[in-house]
Amino acid sequence: MGIVPKETIEVTAQSIGITNLSPEAALMLAPDVEYRVREIMQEAIKCMRHSKRTTLTASDVDGALNLRSLEPSYGFASGGPFRFRKAIGHQDLFYTDDREVDFKDVIEAPLPKAPLDSEVVCHWLAIEGVQPAIPENAPLEVIRAPAENKIYEQKDGPLIDVRLPVKHVLSRELQLYFQKIAELTVSKSSPALFKKALVSLASDSGLHPLVPYFTNFIADEVSRGLNDFLLLFNLMHVVRSLLQNPHIHIEPYLHQLMPSIVTCLVSRKLGNRFADNHWELRDFTANLVSLICKRFGNTYITLQSRLTKTLVNAFLDPKKALTQHYGAIQGLSALGHTVVRLLILSNLEPYLCLLEPELDAEKQKNQMKSYEAWRVYGALLRAAGLCIHDRLKVFLNLPSPSPSFLHKGKGKIINAEPRKRKLSADSSEKQPPHKRLITTDGPDVLRPQDRTGPAPMHVDKLIGNYNLPQNSAQPSSSEQASDGESRNGKEKERGKSRAISMKAILGQIWKDDLDSGRLLVKLQQLYGDRILPFIPSTEMSVFL
Amino acid sequence: MDPGQVDEFVMGYLKKKGFNSAAKHLQESLHNNNGSTFSSNDYHNDPELNKLIRSFSQSENDPSRYREGYSKLRSWGYNSLDLYKHELVRVMYPVFIHCYMDLVGKGHTQEARSFFNSFRKDHEMVHLRDLQKLGGVLAPSHLQEMEFARSLRQSKVNIKICQYSYDLLIQYLHRTESTLMLGIINEHINFQVYSGQPNSASDDTEAVTIVGSFHETADHVNQKEIHWGLLEDSLEDRLEKTGGLLSDSEKGQGESKAGDMDDSKKRSAEIGKQGSSIKKLKKDKAGTATAKVARQETSTVLSSMPRVKPELAMPVMSADVEESILEDLRNRVQLSSIAMPSVSFYTFVNTHNGLNSSSISHDGSLVAGGFSDSSIKVWDMAKIGQAGSCGLQDENNQTVGLNGRRNYTLLVGHSGPVYSATFSPPGDYVLSSSADTTIRLWSTKLNANLVCYKGHNHTVWDAQFSPFGHYFASCSHDRTARIWSMDRMQPLRMMAGHLSDVDCVQWHPNCNYIATGSSDKTVRLWDVQTGECVRIFIGHRSMVLSLAMSPDGRYMASGDEDGTIMMWDLSTARCITPLMGHNSCVWTLSYSGEGSLLASGSADCTVKLWDVSSSTKLTKAEEKNGNSNRLRSLRTFPTKSTPVHALRFSRRNLLFAAGAISKPSS
Repeated sequence: MGIVPKETIEVTAQSIGITNLSPEAALMLAPDVEYRVREIMQEAIKCMRHSKRTTLTASDVDGALNLRSLEPSYGFASGGPFRFRKAIGHQDLFYTDDREVDFKDVIEAPLPKAPLDSEVVCHWLAIEGVQPAIPENAPLEVIRAPAENKIYEQKDGPLIDVRLPVKHVLSRELQLYFQKIAELTVSKSSPALFKKALVSLASDSGLHPLVPYFTNFIADEVSRGLNDFLLLFNLMHVVRSLLQNPHIHIEPYLHQLMPSIVTCLVSRKLGNRFADNHWELRDFTANLVSLICKRFGNTYITLQSRLTKTLVNAFLDPKKALTQHYGAIQGLSALGHTVVRLLILSNLEPYLCLLEPELDAEKQKNQMKSYEAWRVYGALLRAAGLCIHDRLKVFLNLPSPSPSFLHKGKGKIINAEPRKRKLSADSSEKQPPHKRLITTDGPDVLRPQDRTGPAPMHVDKLIGNYNLPQNSAQPSSSEQASDGESRNGKEKERGKSRAISMKAILGQIWKDDLDSGRLLVKLQQLYGDRILPFIPSTEMSVFL
Repeated sequence: MDPGQVDEFVMGYLKKKGFNSAAKHLQESLHNNNGSTFSSNDYHNDPELNKLIRSFSQSENDPSRYREGYSKLRSWGYNSLDLYKHELVRVMYPVFIHCYMDLVGKGHTQEARSFFNSFRKDHEMVHLRDLQKLGGVLAPSHLQEMEFARSLRQSKVNIKICQYSYDLLIQYLHRTESTLMLGIINEHINFQVYSGQPNSASDDTEAVTIVGSFHETADHVNQKEIHWGLLEDSLEDRLEKTGGLLSDSEKGQGESKAGDMDDSKKRSAEIGKQGSSIKKLKKDKAGTATAKVARQETSTVLSSMPRVKPELAMPVMSADVEESILEDLRNRVQLSSIAMPSVSFYTFVNTHNGLNSSSISHDGSLVAGGFSDSSIKVWDMAKIGQAGSCGLQDENNQTVGLNGRRNYTLLVGHSGPVYSATFSPPGDYVLSSSADTTIRLWSTKLNANLVCYKGHNHTVWDAQFSPFGHYFASCSHDRTARIWSMDRMQPLRMMAGHLSDVDCVQWHPNCNYIATGSSDKTVRLWDVQTGECVRIFIGHRSMVLSLAMSPDGRYMASGDEDGTIMMWDLSTARCITPLMGHNSCVWTLSYSGEGSLLASGSADCTVKLWDVSSSTKLTKAEEKNGNSNRLRSLRTFPTKSTPVHALRFSRRNLLFAAGAISKPSS
């Protein structure tokens, strides 16, 4: 039947005390009740419309009853619309949530606050057809407005300039956000939270209005907190997150950011404690620099040249501290192989000469300084190695004259070496005895290597000798150690064959690319076997 | 069938159908022949006729015949030729509702209900609201009681149908002997057969609106002549005469001026055309209009419009008021599709869901709100603005001291929710209407109630001052609109004719007409002097909530519950074009000072600006091409969850908007 079944009528009749309602009467009443209810709802909807609302309230129904000259429904007056709950298990059954309230609670409850009085607030919804970006307006226009404005001007030709001096208003939410981030960055108290903040910075949209504030903040803090390693590291993380955020248009602020970043790369002193691993910070910042150059190098043509200039100046100035040199080298090597080849490798020989006395532990009594020198040496080695690795990739399809399985295997093992070396360098920081071992043994062997001319066989032997103490310095890697031992035995034979093949290959390289060939030789002169790990394994098989 | 039975049935049928004299004659002849049935032999002996009568008698008793007949007709209609289908399908709706009402009327409630539910889906798209209403009709008494059903029963529906479709339909009905359907169609549908190809399906909107007896009367009413021109010697005229329009602002826009000239030429041509279509009008106006155009070719558009004499005694305007208006008009910003207005928004806060209506004075300095707690609050925005500039802290204390913690004027007097509160044109009075059936006049200078007008029998939904003040119009739930003057306690005119509540009222700029929008989905235009209905505008699909008249008096815009805005040409009573864009109730509409832009405010929390000047220019081309172009929506300004209750273009073309912020329900 209709919406009102006769059962409803029966139930209602019972509830008002009519017990002897006949089923026929209920059946007759049901459609009439439905009609009346519809009639009242129709009037109630009219009342709702005239009250300029789109949600029906109890007062609308009262209004409708009033229009029909009926008694209003009592006890349902409320400011807002009713909340109905769905009866579980029934599809179309709803009820009002009528909680029982303890009388005592009502009496004892404090008086509620008086409702605020009505007010009228005035603002500009639009000025000459353009919505100003003020908090009173719907927020979706905030960023879009200027662009739209521009299009609008172009379209309509010679019009008066309708662009308005829009005041830069930061919403309360953004202000809070900025405060919180700044606090986290400076306080360093909760790394987990800071990590989350970084993720938010790197991914959230709508942060663009904050970018000038952040650049300012970073510049201020970097210049203020050069002694605070952790702060600097945090700041650099913030920079990276900002760079990563796809919604932020950071380009206009780069010129403000770069000085701070370069500072973190080549500053003489970063942090004031011995435990501060400023090397890591420099490495991180170097990566950052390369990231920036990759992303904005095209649009910002002078960016890279200016940066390189700064770094090269730092690198070639012998008066600067070794830490600064390290930063510069890392920065330059992050800028790409061309930069390394042109700027580092060309200056490599004189620089190594300069570095040599520092490396020598006997001459250099300052342990710290010698460690720094080794660090720089490592960085240089890495830069040069990566560069030559890149160069040699060109010869990937080189016909290998005598590729042997054994040699290939060797190459792999040796390839694993730089990591170990690095590890040893890192661990040396924590374990000074090891470092000492290196510093005492290393230069001893190295010196003759540097002195000896371009005699590959001799060098090889020496390198073999050199490798041994280094491996023995790390007894934990037994594989390496045993390898070193086994190598000792094969050294002579291997050295011979390698020398022959090397010569052949070098000859080919000379034919193909005189430059890189020379480079390789030079590097071999300078570094000996240590450069070999950087040579890709396939090439390695060629060279070995 | 027993001959006696047949006689009885024929008699009953004749009586039922109201052929009383025929029935009397039959009875007489039966009596005269002393019960012998020789006179009726002719139809007893005709087997065809006998069968027909039998089928009639069957149909009387069997409710399932309706369902059967309708479903057959329906499946036939939907399977008919594509070209004629939409015309035939159009017939279904009236047949459907009348089948339903027949069933209800005969007391087959159960069958009626199941019939209704099984076929209502077909018509829900277009007639949802009607169906919702009809769905509640469940007893014969409801049919009598419900105005809508009664008007449907009493009137015929006009359906335009091409010759071929008509033939198809009639052939089908005869072939299948569906006398029941044929009966319903004959009884309730008035076919207007035309020759030639069927109309395209798109423009049948007019045909599907079934509004009882409207169409016949509407067509009749809409023949009447109206004078939509502005008043003679209006302020705009005076302004032109004084050459005020050629002030600096005007000189700066030489280009637009040239455009205007073209415009005025076009319009004069149009007027000529319109004049020829309405003969009387031509006699009355065309002469003066063209003469005027010839004389004042260089002047603005308004001057090219025909002028009419006021039919009411107009109030005399004081000199300083007139001067200030002239000053405003001189400084008016010219708006167009490329020169947008500025919009100042008044947001009501802390209204606690109680704000029923709001309005803004012509200069935007006063804002009034009508509340459901029977109070009216008037804010003086000029004062509040000062307070803001002087520094909030100090001024707040001052206002608290001065007004007793309030910076608005509270007007108490009504005894029911206040559904409208509007300002007189100079802003010195407030007129309010309420659910207590009264209209009250308040003075903003004295902050006191001056008069209480009693006359309406039900809630007064809206009251509006005439453009020159003194007179005002009101409309009510009692289905009337009334004209009042401030100095009399009784209404001067009553406009009756709407079939449901009259929800909104608006004056024509020349004060000779008022327009009313109603819940019966029509807008009517009434002559103030005679109280006659002179136009009926049919086309809305739901309750009409807002009205606005273009300043040149030629067009009207109306907004409805669904968010549709319709632009009407007053002289032809045709809808120029529907403006689609809002998706909820259009509470308010306002034309800019020179009529080039229309602003609309809606419950969907936006203010939209529409370019209506291009549309009115285009109408000629449109008529030629026959394509209905949609008016351009120029700009949409979303508010921060604030439904827009009121809009007003000031005389200087600044747009004021007002609304109560509605917090999203938590």
